[in-house]
Amino acid sequence: MLKKVLPMTLSALAVVGAIGLAGCGSSGGNTGGETTGEATTQAQSSGGGSLKSSGDVTAFLGTSIFDNSLDPVKGSMSYGYPFVCNALLKVNPNSEYVGDLADTWTISDDALTYTFTLKKGIKFSDGSDFTAEDVTFTYNEVKNNQANNENVDLTNLESATAKDDYTVEFKLKEPYSPFVDVASRLQIVPSDAYNSSAFDTKPIGTGAWKVLEYTPNQQIILEANKDHFDGAPSIDKVTIVYMDQDAAVAAAQSGQLDIVMVGSTHANKTAPGMTLDRFETMDVRQISFPMIEEGTMKDKDGIERKVGNNVTSDHAVREALSIGINRQQIIQNAFNGVGKPAVHFTNNLQWATTKTWSDNRLDEAKKILDDAGWKLEGDVRKKDGLACEFDVIAPGNDEDRYNLAVAFSENAKDLGIKINVKNASWDDAEGLMYSTPLVWGWGQYSPTVIENLFYSKNFLTGYSNVIAYNNPKVDEAITKAIDANNEPDAIKEWREAQDIAEEDYPYLYLVNIEHCYFINDNLNVSKSTQIPHPHGHGGPIICNMKDWKWK
Amino acid sequence: MHKIYKKTGLMNQRVVLLITMIIALIYLLGIFIWGCCLGEDSYAVNFDTKFLPPSGEHWFGTDNLGRDMFFRSVKGLSISMVIGLIAVAISSVIAIVMGILSAVFGGWVDRVVNFAVDLCMGLPHLVLLILISFMMGKGVLGITVAVAVTHWPSMTRMIRQEVLQVRSSQYVLAAYKMGKTRWQVAVKHIIPHILPVYFIGVTLLFPHAIMHESSVTFLGFGLPKELPAIGVILAEAMTHIVTGKWWLAVFPGLMLLIAVIFFDLIGEGLKHLLNPNTGNE
Repeated sequence: MLKKVLPMTLSALAVVGAIGLAGCGSSGGNTGGETTGEATTQAQSSGGGSLKSSGDVTAFLGTSIFDNSLDPVKGSMSYGYPFVCNALLKVNPNSEYVGDLADTWTISDDALTYTFTLKKGIKFSDGSDFTAEDVTFTYNEVKNNQANNENVDLTNLESATAKDDYTVEFKLKEPYSPFVDVASRLQIVPSDAYNSSAFDTKPIGTGAWKVLEYTPNQQIILEANKDHFDGAPSIDKVTIVYMDQDAAVAAAQSGQLDIVMVGSTHANKTAPGMTLDRFETMDVRQISFPMIEEGTMKDKDGIERKVGNNVTSDHAVREALSIGINRQQIIQNAFNGVGKPAVHFTNNLQWATTKTWSDNRLDEAKKILDDAGWKLEGDVRKKDGLACEFDVIAPGNDEDRYNLAVAFSENAKDLGIKINVKNASWDDAEGLMYSTPLVWGWGQYSPTVIENLFYSKNFLTGYSNVIAYNNPKVDEAITKAIDANNEPDAIKEWREAQDIAEEDYPYLYLVNIEHCYFINDNLNVSKSTQIPHPHGHGGPIICNMKDWKWK
Repeated sequence: MHKIYKKTGLMNQRVVLLITMIIALIYLLGIFIWGCCLGEDSYAVNFDTKFLPPSGEHWFGTDNLGRDMFFRSVKGLSISMVIGLIAVAISSVIAIVMGILSAVFGGWVDRVVNFAVDLCMGLPHLVLLILISFMMGKGVLGITVAVAVTHWPSMTRMIRQEVLQVRSSQYVLAAYKMGKTRWQVAVKHIIPHILPVYFIGVTLLFPHAIMHESSVTFLGFGLPKELPAIGVILAEAMTHIVTGKWWLAVFPGLMLLIAVIFFDLIGEGLKHLLNPNTGNE
């Protein structure tokens, strides 16, 4: 009998206790629960050890930096915080486009020609000169290998020509005002030294940092480029490490790291010698509300898809939720108070609408529902037998999004609306996104997000406009914005599109998240030159890495 | 285990065994029925009670959404048991049909069944479970089908062995001689004989099924996150262990462990009582 019980007990114990070993795939990189547990104890007993005040910096910035190649031609670091290479333009802390490798730029009246004048005297880290030829090489390389780069789309580029050593002219097939954004995202590689496979791990660029060593899913060691045209970094070496979030928190508490990105669940933790700092982002979390009645339609690949939702297609339900819920309360409950309430895209973006309004108008929201025929029966409202109830999907292994959805669902109970929170992998979510509300995260400098979210023709093409939003006036404003031949006009139209769309409440904006990091008290990450962080799962703090200093 | 019963001088071993089995049965049935009756309100989200350690009010503490871990664990274990029940019902029927077919018909049927058994046992069990669950779209359906169609091989072997033994015994041969058909022999002699083996096998399959359901769910290929399954609870707990929320993992884990041991105890107890050699001790 013992023979039978023992293996059974052992296997039970294996699941209960040592399950952490197998858990790596399941919960977004939460391996080695036990090891981290030990690390914490050590950290507590040793009182945190002695913290550095000079030398190299070691940082945990999430793991998304390790996801892809480091080659700009393949779309690396195209979200506004490159470190090895530079783009023609960059974004300043006010979210305005300013020159980086380019000095000035002009747009022709027909909006088809963009001319950039380049800065002189810039060298790549291999010693070669940066000239217009490198720019045309990079753009043509991306255009010819567009399939390798899903972040920078150059299919609209007719030609890139070097007028002289320091002037580049781009011709577009059709007007496209967000081309300045493309110019701020695509970083330039040296035409002579470019090697597609070598650049995956060791790109050469004009940036403030050189890659000393890249070990996939372990670490990236960066060395300061002392010849950087915009001033050399004051820190010699930065190591970006790959680990699990839990392990990183433990490592912070034992003083092994200088910067540690943490999720909002850890926002109330402390680490000896480190301070938890919050950074402004342009990243919002919003819930998509399918706008049409339930049915089936064929998507762009001809596959039959379930579309629409009978509850969220009612304007009253969308409006009542948008104005009736208490965003501050939701943030408090889901994120320990980290984040700011948001009713549209963030004010730190040039093109975001600035009209704002207050939420938590419970009585007003209830009246809207009553007037629309949604009568309270028990806890949940009903209209012609249809319960005011729908699912919300929190996709992926994102604990924060799940908690946010749960907090939202709890808050919506006060309105008599029942929301069932479901978790699904992104693959499964893609199958449901046209018919089921989903928690999205959007945050980028480029106003093209407005086109993605609202342009009617984008329905059934992928992640864009999954709700079947269709408003000719919004379409018109978007078209005008894209056709504009100067930035102020484009911005005006982008705002117009948002203001018109807002009256339909197609998306429920919930929170403008904040990025939290534990930072060594002796390290100054120059908060004043930080740009508002784009969507980046912890990476964007490196946007001004060359300005970091030991105090 | 055998020895433990012998050392107890006060009571008859059968009585001791029965009492143990009754305790185990009460625990399992209790959780099963209680869990099935529990409404969602008992483990509802409550943001005012986040991360409370175990106390009189919340026996197993609360989690990051303020849900009561005791009720979640009870509900989770009962869900596991329901899945285990379905799985065992299906698996044991497959086993009994395959076992009898293979023993009665012999020849190529026997070879095919044996090949299927070997094939199934040759693959790593967990991998097979994940594969089937994933193919069926995960969720309740995926994991139930996966557990249901992978737990028959060892039982098939046991039943085949039993049937072979009965088939060659004198009274069965005599029955054939007296003109009884194969069907009559099977119903009258063979099935009653293999029933004890069947019941023991079923009871012993149960803990396997529950463990496998929890493991696959833990790995993210089983029950969805919104159900309070033990696998989900343990997976969630992994995130918070580093910050010292030990109760999220320890109590649900222990409950699962105890359930598995109790099932095993009942199975072994049954075997002890039904086996002619030990039954009269």
